[in-house]
Parts: sequence; structure tokens; C-alpha cells
Amino acid sequence: MLLARFLGPRVWILIAALLLAAVLVPMANLYLSPSHPLHVPSYMVPLLGKYVCYALLALALDLVWGYVGILSLGHGAFFALGGYAMGMYLMRQIGARGVYGNPELPDFMVFLNWKELPWYWYGFDQFWFAAIMVMLVPGLLGFVFGYFAFRSRVTGVYLSIITQAMTYALLLAFFRNDMGFGGNNGLTDFKDILGFPIQADSTRAGLFAASCIALAIAVLIVGWITRSKLGKLMVAVRDAESRTRFIGWRPEYVKLFAFTVSAVMAGIAGALYVPQVGIINPGEFAPVNSIEIVVWAAVGGRGTLLGPVIGALLVNYGKTYFTAVAPEFWLFFLGGLFVFVTLLLPRGIIGTIDYGWETWRSRRRASREEKGESDDGEGQPLASPAE
Amino acid sequence: MKSAVTWMQRTAAAAAMVVMGVTGASAQEPSGEPIKVGILHSLSGTMAISETTLKDAMLMLIEEQNKKGGVLGRPLEPVVVDPASDWPLFAEKARELISQEEVAVVFGCWTSVSRKSVLPVFKELNSILFYPVQYEGEESERNVFYTGAAPNQQAIPAVDYLIDEGVERWVLEGTDYVYPRTTNKILEQYLKDKGVADEDIIINYTPFGFSDWQTEVSRIKEFGSTGKKTAVVSTINGDANVPFYKELGNQGIEATDIPVVAFSVGEEELAGIDTAPLVGHLAAWNYFMSVDTPENEDFIAKWHEFIGNEDRVTNDPMEAHYIGFNMWVKAVEEAGTTDPDEVIAALPGTEVPNLTGGTSVMLPNHHITKPVLIGEINDEGQFDVVSETEDLVPGDAWSDFLPESAKLKADWVELKCGNYDTEAEKCLGDTAMAEEAAN
Amino acid sequence: MTPSIRWLLAALTFLFSAISVAPVHAQESDPAATIQKFGGKQSYDETEAVISELAATGDARVARALRALREGDLYWRESDEAVFIAERNGDNYDLLDPLTGEPAGSEPRGDMSKVRVKNSIRNAVTTALGSLTLRAENPAQRMRAAETLFSEADPEMIEPLDAAIEAESNADVLIRMQEARAAAVLASDRPAPEKAEAAQVLANRGDRESLTMLNRFANSTEDQAARTAAIAAIAAIENNIAFWNQAQNIWYGLSLGSVLLLAAIGLAITFGVMGVINMAHGEMVMLGAYTTFVVQEFIRTSAPGLFEWSLLIALPLAFLVSGTVGLVMERGLIRFLYGRPLETLLATFGVSLILQQAVRTIFGPSNREVGNPDWMSGAFDIGLMSVTWNRLWIIIFALAVFAALLIVLNKTPLGLQMRAVTQNRSMASAMGIRTPWVDAMTFALGSGIAGIAGVALSQVDNVSPNLGQGYIIDSFMVVVFGGVGNLWGTLVGAMSLGILNKFLEPYAGAVLGKIVVLVLIILFIQKRPRGLFAQKGRFVDA
Repeated sequence: MLLARFLGPRVWILIAALLLAAVLVPMANLYLSPSHPLHVPSYMVPLLGKYVCYALLALALDLVWGYVGILSLGHGAFFALGGYAMGMYLMRQIGARGVYGNPELPDFMVFLNWKELPWYWYGFDQFWFAAIMVMLVPGLLGFVFGYFAFRSRVTGVYLSIITQAMTYALLLAFFRNDMGFGGNNGLTDFKDILGFPIQADSTRAGLFAASCIALAIAVLIVGWITRSKLGKLMVAVRDAESRTRFIGWRPEYVKLFAFTVSAVMAGIAGALYVPQVGIINPGEFAPVNSIEIVVWAAVGGRGTLLGPVIGALLVNYGKTYFTAVAPEFWLFFLGGLFVFVTLLLPRGIIGTIDYGWETWRSRRRASREEKGESDDGEGQPLASPAE
Repeated sequence: MKSAVTWMQRTAAAAAMVVMGVTGASAQEPSGEPIKVGILHSLSGTMAISETTLKDAMLMLIEEQNKKGGVLGRPLEPVVVDPASDWPLFAEKARELISQEEVAVVFGCWTSVSRKSVLPVFKELNSILFYPVQYEGEESERNVFYTGAAPNQQAIPAVDYLIDEGVERWVLEGTDYVYPRTTNKILEQYLKDKGVADEDIIINYTPFGFSDWQTEVSRIKEFGSTGKKTAVVSTINGDANVPFYKELGNQGIEATDIPVVAFSVGEEELAGIDTAPLVGHLAAWNYFMSVDTPENEDFIAKWHEFIGNEDRVTNDPMEAHYIGFNMWVKAVEEAGTTDPDEVIAALPGTEVPNLTGGTSVMLPNHHITKPVLIGEINDEGQFDVVSETEDLVPGDAWSDFLPESAKLKADWVELKCGNYDTEAEKCLGDTAMAEEAAN
Repeated sequence: MTPSIRWLLAALTFLFSAISVAPVHAQESDPAATIQKFGGKQSYDETEAVISELAATGDARVARALRALREGDLYWRESDEAVFIAERNGDNYDLLDPLTGEPAGSEPRGDMSKVRVKNSIRNAVTTALGSLTLRAENPAQRMRAAETLFSEADPEMIEPLDAAIEAESNADVLIRMQEARAAAVLASDRPAPEKAEAAQVLANRGDRESLTMLNRFANSTEDQAARTAAIAAIAAIENNIAFWNQAQNIWYGLSLGSVLLLAAIGLAITFGVMGVINMAHGEMVMLGAYTTFVVQEFIRTSAPGLFEWSLLIALPLAFLVSGTVGLVMERGLIRFLYGRPLETLLATFGVSLILQQAVRTIFGPSNREVGNPDWMSGAFDIGLMSVTWNRLWIIIFALAVFAALLIVLNKTPLGLQMRAVTQNRSMASAMGIRTPWVDAMTFALGSGIAGIAGVALSQVDNVSPNLGQGYIIDSFMVVVFGGVGNLWGTLVGAMSLGILNKFLEPYAGAVLGKIVVLVLIILFIQKRPRGLFAQKGRFVDA
């Protein structure tokens, strides 16, 4: 298969690992007895699921940042919008099981004296509608925002700042109770999804598997896009936008495509995230969250498929670990990580390994060539980070 | 690189020493396997400002209890985690405390959203949460015990006091989130029932952390210049209060002209303000540090000793934890086990002394009885109590002043229901569905 | 005591006993004995009764005790319920005689109880003092008395006011007294012509309180002519108020703008001139605010007399602290990242997290108290607009910082070198400028300015570890909106955003107003991707 050679074995290992996890983790949770050494405790499943959603989000960001050079500080907004779309579906599923027993209105509307459901909540009682909205709303926002921004050639730092302004404005908007999204409390107390009780271990396992599969598909898609001709164009836009334009390409459309696809992916990540953590609230729009996403990608290595996934998993595991073991030091650690990675690991973990491997191999090749030997190892296209 | 490693080692060692210090002291008298107590308060992020104190208060209470011989003869062991003011992380940490650490009970949360976030976890894993902060009500869950004030234990008595003082015009000023929204809805209805005209009430909301109060304060000033006595009922949240009071002081609004009664401003918040210009503004709580009782004196002395700083203040949520913790200890002793079901059953009816000289009771609706105190800010950053309810006020989970909730009733002893519809005579929501399914 | 004052007092005593008091009280002329009635536990109603009894004596000497009561300085001794004015002195109270103010020994704090006060008691005291001090020697006290009586609008006070007006020599106080009298007349059942005259006096005063009184008068009077006159006056006042409301909005906008300017101006150097996206900028501001706190703490404990100067002392220190941190950051971190602006963003964000947590560890997570010196507190009126001193000083300070920065950039050798380095690094280097040194100095300058902004912001906002986060996004908006690399752009950007915000706020509310401003900025950037004052040149392509 052409794709196989394109992506290289490492990515296939990742995809295989994800699919394997999608099967093994739920099985280890559901079928192994708690005393079994390989048993995955129930609390671990949604936790791992959350990490996987973050990994998907980091991959989405990597598509625009690592490959097209657009540093978006507002990807949290797409993630949150996808989450809200899913949250609204889950809210409607509660039906008459809310504390006031009102079949039409969510609880927060009842006690704030709303009389009827706002129009933008219509349709969210259907899963297919919500599923479309999960992709459509972030995608549309990304498209419209990107269309204006890229057409006006807002680039670099300016773009980063206005993406930040976008998520900040949405944060403020969703905080308003008048918006009808539950204000600061957001949407919570979900009961079931597609008829399955959301607290059940089997549902959780299912959601975890779904997240893994979604991530695997996303890796495939991003891999396919970036290895295609379009992908070459993306890297060209990243490395020399003006030159690409002078040659006759339209960089704004390349960017717009990547940005929209990335927004949709972030939306899906959000939609999978919400049922697993059980709450969506405006805090997800906070600009700090969006910056953290950037760090995941940077730690793992941007411009690679594996990097953002590894980065998101590692940093978030670190967060879980540190906030339990040494809560006071978590921010020192996170802050130190930012500095350390940008200063000493500008290529990220994966990028550094690749770079080290590449240097070592070229040195060896050089020495072999001296001896008259040849080397025919497979070539992994290397994306070196550049501004 | 090397220095980073040693730094990490050092911090880890320091953290380990802290933990050992606590458990080491506890291992003197009580013996056997320790009972774990979870503490779920943000130690970083925006809420650290309020919640860190509560974590320290809990550590102190646990240390005290261990000196007294622990619970059921076993030592208590605190398990502290940091949900970092991140709401989904609250749920994750709650799950970790219950499933992994297997704590017997959790004391924690501050904001409503953090409580809402952990609720499903406590229900699912059947554990116990003590929630120590005044809140908007409209909730009564089997697994949660609300030791803070419900609206009828704070907002309504405060407004009653102001009505007695002759206030006729009302500014309801709040931060835009669920607690002020609900409280103001309740107060608006309550005032209208008392015959206050529509044009004598304005309601205004500002965002979190709002810092430029010029326009709002001048509007209050204008609203109050009609000759009728005006008061501001403030549900402004934490951080936004300092600039608000500074602006009030600077625009020359004194408490004698337009008093502000606040529900979220306590001793801890005042510690960040020069209170001289604020003298006479009011707050309604169930406890003030200035309350003159032997219990309170003892509590303050222990707090100062524990924290090693004479300047630290005590506040209402700390008292709520004090009451909640003692209730839990008593209920566990009574049940003879830490099993959640038995402790939940034993808790209603438990009586413990509070710090203001009364005895608080856990009610069947999982709220407690509390006195309501109105205090005026004095120039030392403390409150002078100017009014106190004669009896303890029982906490009401469902407000009588919201149309949908007036008919609801919570009773976990007789009715086994947190939201019983007294008109339809059935339990609503979840429970109703479960019953139907069972039939 | 001079004979004339004694005469005045006698006259006052006579006056008060004549008009408002039952004969029983007139006989009880010993205020010292009455003051002692504050002693012992008593209800607020009892306290209030004693106050009116004291007011009834008409003896101006009781003002001292009443004032002490209002300030919460009146105490009674638990052993004998004797009443004193107490001043705290360590663990003791220094006691003063409540009538004469003579020292009367001292007592341990535990043996004294405060006479409890609340707002209604304070109001009663203020009213009592108003009538007692109407003829005080100090014009400021008379002024205050007249103001109090104006808002009281008590018909019973017409006669004492008449007497006071007769004797008044200060023109300003006289006007206030006449207004107070007019307010009282409108509230009384005096004949219509007298009321019409009073309405005219209030119309001349023309503020919101008079508007309310006039409205009430216009609705109740039967005198047609007077009503027409009152309605005309009301319209005039309303016009006047509308005008001043606009002026007030602009003023608020300018003052918000100056806060934004202060927060952003350091960033205009580090980001605007050097191109470093310094996410730790907000923390530099925070460090400045905490420096102010430390300075004030030090002054409080060791040199309380210097408190009024605390901000001036803090300014250079805050500059040094934040500047030094900036210098260390530049040397240790940022210099490795030049030409990679997006990576400086990440690294400095990491620094900002570390600084926040460090401050939280050192100073604790809660707000710290930074006091306002007297010259920063209070307000004065211009027309119907009240201008608070702290806002005024902050506007002046922001403009001063701006001007100083312009001078540094345009008139000093350092400024020249900075501009040279940012415009053409290699040429500057070839000319013998030590570019790394200039980089470091520029960054330190920008950070230092953020530090002194922190001193000013500590006066209007919380001093907490989160202080910086609140400003960082706004600061970037201002710089980007104004145009990177142009100080004037930052000034215009800050002021126009401030004013826009304040004009939207009354209509849209604070939250929606801010959202609208953000959306407008986003749209504006589409239109002018380089901001308001775009830098021109061939090297701007990023």
C-alpha cells in the first residue's frame, strides 16, 4: 500500500497500539477480576479516555502549527464548542429525570425561570443532529474566522493574538447565564448516551474505545493529508509563505483548509471528552487551556504525527501525578517544562530522537561510505521546526 | 540538568516530610489501620485564594482529632489532592480519592460548579462529601452534606435586617454566575412580596474578576440619590470585591448613606483591603471571627498555633468544616463503622456545638441549622455583630420564593428523596424513573 | 475659651432648648452626666435615646463624645461603667475624658468595652452633630453640617438655619445653608410663595438630589406658576445631568484607558519594539504591585511617618525588581530564542507560571493589602461629575510614564541604540553598538516599566498572584490594536478602547460590552492587519 510507505512503520505502530488499546483496556477493565495484576481499575478508564481526547486535540493543533505554521492560541474554543454540542445532546437525554422533573427544560433553566427552550437547543435531542453540530459548529467558526484572517494576510504573532481574543470573547459569552448554556456551571449531571447509562463501566469502556479509534483515524487522515501534495504545499507555506505565493499558489486556501479540518478534529475531541469527564463549562475556553495544548504539541515534537500524541499523554499524566503527589509544585513543574522544552528540546521529544537518530545514521553512513558499504534503510520525511 | 534533578528530589523529599509529619504525629495513641479522609480543595489556580485555608483548617481538625484518640480508636490520615481550580479535574480527583485512595469521606469544593462536577462521582461510587460554603440551594443529594448556608440562612435574614433599618430601594449587584443569579431571583421575589415596587429594584451582573467599577458605582450613587433609603445587596464574587469597595470608598459612598450587605465577603477577603473606608458596610454569615464564645476563642487559638501566624483570620467556611467534621466523627462513632451507607443514615439528627454558642443539627434534608449573624465591618478588618437571629435557622434546600421549587421538599430519613413533589406526592426525576423501572 | 464663643454657645443652648426639646431635658443641663449613660450593656435604641438627649442639651462640647462614638472610639470601663474615649496603645487603651478630652489614665484592653454602634447610630450622631456644629468655628464643619441638613430636609431645622444664615460670613457655606433651608422649606407646610422661592434655590443648585426634591414639589404643589417654573427647572437640570453623564463617560473611559496604557506600555517595548512575545509581562506588573506591598509593610513596621510617601518610594524599587527579573529572563532565556517569536511565547508563559507560583508560595495565595495614601483617596466634584483622586493621579502618572518613555527612546543614547538595533541589527553591530547589551537593556526597561505600572495598579486592583493574568490579554489587544512598534499607537489604542468600553457599558452591560470590544478588535485586525499605526518599511514582512 502506498500509504504504508508514506507513513512509515512508526506511525503504523502507533495506530496499531491505539486499536489494541481500544480492545485491551476495556477488556482488562471489564473481564479481569480486580485482584488480577493486569486489571485496569474503573477510575482509570475515563482518565485514559481523557488523555486520548487531549491527544486528538494536540494532533489537531499540530496540523495547523506543525505543518502550516499557524500558531493558534484558540484551539480550546473549537474543543469546547464540540463539547458543548455533545453536552447539549446529553442534557436533552436527561429528560424528566432532572431534579424538577421537567421533561422539556434542563434544570438550570427551570430555576432561573425560563419558560421555554431557546431555539438553538432544538434538534439536540437527536444524536445525529448533535453529531453533525459537533463537527459543523467548530468547523464553521474555524472556516469563517480563517477566511477573514487569512484573506487579510493576518499572520504570525497577530494571528496568535486574535485567536486568543476569539477564545477569550467566547469564554466571556458562555459565562453569561443569559446565553442559555448554563453559565459558569456549564452542563453536567448527564445520565445516558445513546440509551446507555453514562456511569456504567461498559459505557465508559465503549467511549474509551471510541476515543482511541477516533484518534487512530485522525492520525491516518493527518498522515494522509501531510504526505500528499497538499501536505508539501502546507510545509512550503510554513517555511516560505511569500515565496509560495509568488510561485503562484494561494497560501490562504491552504491555510484555510488546514484550519477548518483542524477545528473539526478539535470539535470531535471535545465531543468525546465531555461524556467521559461528565461536565463541560466555559472554563474550557480559557486562553490558558489553549496555550497548554500548544505545549503538549511542543513537548512531543511538532511537525510529526507521533509527537503531539506522546506529548499530550506525557504532560497530562504528569499533571495527574503531580497534582496528587506534590500539589504546590505542579505549576513549577509545568512552567519549568515550558522553558526546558523550548530552550533545550526545540524539536520536542520525537523530533530530538529523530534528529539524533538521523545524525547518528548519517555519521555511520559517512563512515561506511568510506569503507565502501551502502545503506538502504527506509526514509522518514523529517519536518524540522522552523518559524 | 543535574541541578534540575536534585531540585526535583529535594521537593519530593520536602513533600514526603510534610506527609510524614502529619501522619507521624497522629501515630501516638490511636492504633490500627488509619481511616483516610480526603481533602479536595484547590491549592493552585484562581480558587486557591479561598480554598487553601480550608485545606489547612482540615489538616488542623484531623490533627486535633488524632490527639484525642482518633476515630473508632483508629488514626485519621488526611489525603490532600489539588484539583487546581479546574472543574473536570475536580471530578477526576474525587474519583481518585474514592476509588484509589479509598477515603471514608471527602471534605471539599468551594464553587458551585466544582460541586456539580463531582456530584455524579459521589453518587456513582457512593461516598460522602461535606460541602462547607454558602450556596444557591436548589439541591439535596443523598451523598452530600451541606454545612454552608442555604439562601434562607443568609440572604433573606440580611434583607429583613435592612428592611428594619428603613431601606426602601434595592440594588442587587452580583457576579454573573449561578449563585448570584439564584439568590437574586429569590430576593427579587421576596422583596416584591414585601411590597417593594419594580422601579425600586435594579439587578446588575458583572463578569468574574471585574476590576473597573466606575460606571457601576456611579449608577448606584445615582439610584440612591432619590431620597429613599437605598442599600446594595452584593453577591459579588471574591476577587472583584476589592476594586468594588475601593471605588465605593473613593466615590464617597459611605455605609451610612448606602450600605452594602455582602454574602461573599468574610474576614479572609477583608485581609486584602484597608477597611477604614468600609466601616459600617455589612456582611451576613453564620459565623464571625469576632464572636465572643469560649469555643471560638479556643478554635482561634488552635488555628494560630497550627498555622504559626497570629495574623491569620478564621472565617465562616472554616466553621462549616469544623461543624461538618465533628458531625462526621460523631456519626462514625455512632455507626461504629465508616461504611458510607451507615454513616449517611446516622448523620441526620447528629448534634454538635458550633462556634457561636449554639448547637447545630444535621437535618433530614442534609442541611444544618445555623444562626444568622449580620456584622458591620470595623476598622480592624473584623465584623461587629449588629444583629443575630434568636433561634438557629434550619437550612432550606428548596427555596419558597422560586415557583418551581416552592413545592419541592427534601427528606432523606422519611421520604428517602431529595426532591419530593408535595403537590404530586411523588419523588421527581432520577428516583421516580428508578421506581417506575422497578415496578 | 474666648468670650465670643461662650456667647455663641449660650445662644445655641438657648436656641435648641427653645425649639425642639421637651422641658424635662432643658433642665438636665449636665452633658457629662448624660454621656455617662452610654456606659453598660445597652440596646441600640437606648444608645439612640442618649444621643438625642445629648443633642437636646445643645451644648457644643458634647460633639467630641459624639464624634468618638461615631468613629467607634467610645468605650466604657467594665468595673464601674464609666465612659471614656479610648485610644489604642499596645495592649492598653489611653483614656480621655469624653467631655473635655483631658487624659484620664489608661486601662488594659480586656477591661474596656466598646459602646456598640451601627449605621443607624452613626446617622443619628451625624444628624445631631449637624445641628450642633452649624455654628462651629471651623467653616469646613459648618459646611458639613449644612450638607447633612440638606439631605435631612427636616422642617424643624428651618429656624436654626435662619439664625445660622444670619451669622454666616463665608459665602460658600452661606449658599449651602440656604440650600439646606430651601430643602427643609419644601418638606414643610410653609405657604406656597415661600416654597416657590425655595424651589428656585434648588433649581440653581441643579444636582440629582435637588431634582428629586423638585420633582416631588412639582407633583404636589397647587400653585400653577410655581409648578411651571419647577418643571422648567427640572428640564434644565435633566439636560445638565445628561451633559455631565457624557462627560463622566469620557472621563471613565480615559481612566480605564490609562490603566490599559499602564499595563500595555511595558509590552509596547518588549513586544512592540523588540518583537518578544512576553507572556510573563503580566507577572512583571504583579511583581511591581508586590514590591509596593513589601515597601508599605516595611514602612508600617519601621517608619509609619513615611506612609504618604510609600508609593514614591516603591516606584524606583518596583522598577529595579521587575527590571532585574526582566534582565535575568533576557540573559538566561530569551536571547537564545531571538527570531523565534512563537517559541518565546511558550518559554515566557512557562516563566509566568513559575513566577505566579513563586509569589503564591512566598506571600500566600490570598490578596495582600496595599493602602491608599491620603492624596490618593477621596474625590472632588467638577460640575455634576465626581472625579476620584486615585483615577486622576493614575491618568497623570500614565501620561508621565509615556512621556518619559518617549524621551528615553528619542533623546537618549540608549534610545538611539535601541532603535538602531531593532531597525537593522547587523548594521548597528557593525557601527560598534553592543547589540546583546542593548537587547538586555531594552528588555529590562520594558519589564521595569511594567513594574512601575504595578505600583499604580496596586491602588485600584487586587494584589494577588493572579493580578498579572487579568491584564495580559488586554495588554496584547492594546498593543496589537494600536500597531506594534509604535508608542503613539499604544497610547491612542489604550484610550480609544477605554472610552469605547465605557460608552458600551451602560447599554450593553459590562460583560457584553467587553465581548463587543473584543469582536471589534478582531474585525479591525482583518481590516488593518498591522494595527492602527502600522509601521512602514521594507522589513515588516513576517
